[in-house]
Amino acid sequence: MNATSPLPNSHELLADPQASEWLKSALRSAAERDPIDALNDALVLAATLEERLRRELDLR
Amino acid sequence: MNKPPDQSAPGGIESAAGSPREASRASSSRFASREFRPSRGGSLFVGRLTEHGRANYQFRTDENASYFLKLLTSRGAKTLWGKDLERALHSGETRPKVGDLIGARRVGREAVTVTARRRVAGGRIVTEEAHHAHRTRWLVEKVQFFAERARLARRLRDEQADVRDTVRAHPELKSSFLSVRAAQEFAARRIADPKDRERFLSLMREAMAASIHRGEPLPAVRLRDPSRTEEVSTAEPRPPRREDPTR
Repeated sequence: MNATSPLPNSHELLADPQASEWLKSALRSAAERDPIDALNDALVLAATLEERLRRELDLR
Repeated sequence: MNKPPDQSAPGGIESAAGSPREASRASSSRFASREFRPSRGGSLFVGRLTEHGRANYQFRTDENASYFLKLLTSRGAKTLWGKDLERALHSGETRPKVGDLIGARRVGREAVTVTARRRVAGGRIVTEEAHHAHRTRWLVEKVQFFAERARLARRLRDEQADVRDTVRAHPELKSSFLSVRAAQEFAARRIADPKDRERFLSLMREAMAASIHRGEPLPAVRLRDPSRTEEVSTAEPRPPRREDPTR
């Protein structure tokens, strides 16, 4: 079986030198918000980013 | 709106006559591969590959051996099942690994003959029955592969592009352009009506571009004379003559 290690928590991500500044900034900003609202927005963001990827790379 | 989870049949097997489950149960017996039939291609699943491996379908002990890919998609975790996923993952051009952003697509169905055997205690076979079934064929690659294929398809669709320049930049398209050239010559000889000729060439070019876009294997260059290298010509095919056959 080939698998990634479990998802890191936000503290681990903020300390990870491999993680992007964009992600770290989003995490810091999200930490100040209501967790339900933050996750809700993150899901919308993820779906929107996938749509952008499909559109810009012409993936069908 | 509730949607059922996308779950391919165990081993990706679909029976021509019975349910996928029945076909899968029979799959414990021997398969004889008969033919490969490409389909028009399913939708492209995109996500980060988080895990893959052999397991019984749906991780149930009473199901048959299969292979799974777990993807983290923008809409949550998704598990794809299919015996062919193992081949697709390991023989892919880009060899995706755990952690990569990948694309997975059903690209066709392979006809297989399933021989279902019933045994009595002691292992003696009492009945043997052949069934026709289909095994789903997958394409699994890093997402950049699909982006590159989309780019190549656009190049082939672009009738204004200079063929020599395009082939120099993308030698993998050489055979595709040779096929377009052959179609132009065929159309010039055999199709008298210019509108029909245009329509034929346009359909042919679009079919080839769509195949490239889906990620199907690019045609290999086949040379008639090994001592001669074929060249892609940019010259226009000669106009049809009156004595030429028409359709």
